[in-house]
Amino acid sequence: MTSIAARLLLTSLLLVFGALSLAQTPADALVPNPDLHASLEIWSWEGATGALQAADAEFAEYYPNIQITYVNRPTGDNYQQIQLGAVAGGGLPDVANIENSHLRQFVELGILYDMTERLEPYVPLMNAFKWREAEMDGRYYAMPNDSGPVALFYRRDVFEQAGVDPESIQTWADYYEAALTIKAETGLPMWQQATARNNARLFEILMWQRGAGYIDADGNVILDRDERILEILEFMGRFWQEGLAVDAEEWTDSWYRNFDEPAVASHPGAVWMGTFFKAWIAPDSAGQWGVVRLPAWEPGGSQASNDGGSSLVIFEQSTQKEAAWAYVEFHLGRTASQLDMFIASDIFPSLETVYADPYFAEPDPYYGGDMVRELFTQIVQEIPEAGIYNVDYQEMNGLMAEQIQRFAIGQISASEALAAAAREIRSRTGRR
Amino acid sequence: MRQPPHTTSVPATLGVAGTWRRGPLGTIWRHRWPLLFVSPFFILFAVFALYPIFFSLYLSFHEWRGVGVMRPVGFANYTRLFGDRIFWGSMLNAVLLFFIYVPLMTFLAVVIATVLHGSFLKLQGMWRAIIFMPHLTSMVAAGFTFRLILDTHSGFANQALAALGISPVPWLDDMWWARISVGLLMIWAWLGYNTIIMLAGLQTIPIEVNEAASVDGANRVQVFFRITVPLLKPVILFAVTLSIIGTFQLFTEPYILTGGGPIRATETPVMQIFSSTFANLRFGYAAAMSYVYFITIIVLAIVQFKLVTRGDR
Repeated sequence: MTSIAARLLLTSLLLVFGALSLAQTPADALVPNPDLHASLEIWSWEGATGALQAADAEFAEYYPNIQITYVNRPTGDNYQQIQLGAVAGGGLPDVANIENSHLRQFVELGILYDMTERLEPYVPLMNAFKWREAEMDGRYYAMPNDSGPVALFYRRDVFEQAGVDPESIQTWADYYEAALTIKAETGLPMWQQATARNNARLFEILMWQRGAGYIDADGNVILDRDERILEILEFMGRFWQEGLAVDAEEWTDSWYRNFDEPAVASHPGAVWMGTFFKAWIAPDSAGQWGVVRLPAWEPGGSQASNDGGSSLVIFEQSTQKEAAWAYVEFHLGRTASQLDMFIASDIFPSLETVYADPYFAEPDPYYGGDMVRELFTQIVQEIPEAGIYNVDYQEMNGLMAEQIQRFAIGQISASEALAAAAREIRSRTGRR
Repeated sequence: MRQPPHTTSVPATLGVAGTWRRGPLGTIWRHRWPLLFVSPFFILFAVFALYPIFFSLYLSFHEWRGVGVMRPVGFANYTRLFGDRIFWGSMLNAVLLFFIYVPLMTFLAVVIATVLHGSFLKLQGMWRAIIFMPHLTSMVAAGFTFRLILDTHSGFANQALAALGISPVPWLDDMWWARISVGLLMIWAWLGYNTIIMLAGLQTIPIEVNEAASVDGANRVQVFFRITVPLLKPVILFAVTLSIIGTFQLFTEPYILTGGGPIRATETPVMQIFSSTFANLRFGYAAAMSYVYFITIIVLAIVQFKLVTRGDR
């Protein structure tokens, strides 16, 4: 008996140390814990839940007595439900997946569980820019899930037909020239940008690339004070005025179809577009899409930006915080889990220890063998700090989108649009 | 002889306890059973109607994010509201929408009701059911369906127009067309409801009046405009008042169909109140909005009532 017990002890010790020696993050050294009993509810949305579920089978091996129930809703509905639950003082789940664009509002509401001590080891291991919304007064309230590094997706067939080499597009000025060539050679517009139904997301991507934004580091509105922002909006305006843009609202059937047909030549977008391209927007266009870095605004300038991305939070209301943390850490802090999630879904890990995995050095067959994964790991580490996602983001985005729409249909000029948006944002949020 | 139970005087033997039973509390005590049986309504009304009404008034003088402390701000929410371009824009949208669909819908309702009321129509029950059916459909489902039909590029509406050689209409992508599209959805959803109200009204008009007019040589159109419409005026007034309130309270229809766009052209006051509360977490400001909006509806209803009944004296 004793010898068996000793052998078991030895084996488990070996296992633990073996795991520790390979461990890059605290979660990589986790050992199974059947003592944690809980039934967790997690609010998320369909695509994102699919990624999280990729790590669930292994999670069940490590925590056999933690049951997981996902509730999927459109993100906007989730946020309303969270606000109702916060006001009512009950009814919130244990864990929720929240887009970083909307995260800050919940951090400042004071309804999230303070995970500072648990998260501290992870701060240097994850994309630095992701902590901006999660951290308040030195305390951390959310763990980064995925990042949205942005690149230029382009149709190989269209570019070839027009004789444009995507690698030759170094600056946005080059991009505009290429748009003229492609329009002349193929008749196709360069990008899809809605006019009267614009959602300001591309505008935000381009601001983020330059480290600009709605506000500066002190929280003051800079839309009408930063010449670079005016340059961005005027640049977008040229595409509408000169017929180089397709007027299609994002996330509609027309928008999807234009990518697949193709009725458009390129798309500046985040890595997660791959999820949608492969799954249902253009599954049959494998090999036709390529990915290169965003053009720079000036030679040698930044070619990285971010769009979207999410984080997991635990609510203060939860009575199962220990188990909730086990879930969050296992899914987001463990290198192997994050790799599984990325392989399953193209949802890009914020955890940087994953990037060393050989999978990232392999070409992606959907993108015609381009080294897209490696490209995105480089881009994600170059994303500048920008004042876009903040406590008032929803309101700022709505006010800006309205003015971009007016500009796009020719009611006002770019500088009038920026002045009007800045004025509205100041008067509503009390910023300067 | 027996006294009626509710006038029974309290026996003196009850002593001290008897004194309060003679006051207003005594009245309550004596009617305790009937009061108990009607109390559920009053309790629910107090919790779900009275309390929110007074709480939102209180809220409108505060700044509150839904959680944490409320900061009293006096009339600041109201003064800010008067300069709020977007809020007044949404009120104007409601007025525009009202004129886009209510006159047409009300007229159609009266005409259809008259036809359905006529004795020459067979299967009346079936026609009434069909005309009322859209009102019973889930507005969310109807809104999504309309969105698919009205899509500029792939919608059925534009395909049908193309077959007729008409160029595509930007149903949801143009400020005015979007308002018209919401109006179309409103007519589709509410025409049956208004028709039923008119039908009920028609049934109160004595058949002899119409017969007398016919005997005097009036044709159907004359009977409709000279007899039916004037006699139906109180019912029409009632239906239009409901439509005023309904238009200002619009939420689901534009929320699903247009999301309030493009360029806030179909954003209604309730959508503004909703986004101020849930997107921007300005509960106090949104409460002030709902009060201003509530008073506006009352004023409009009174003005409309006065205008229409002016000639009746």
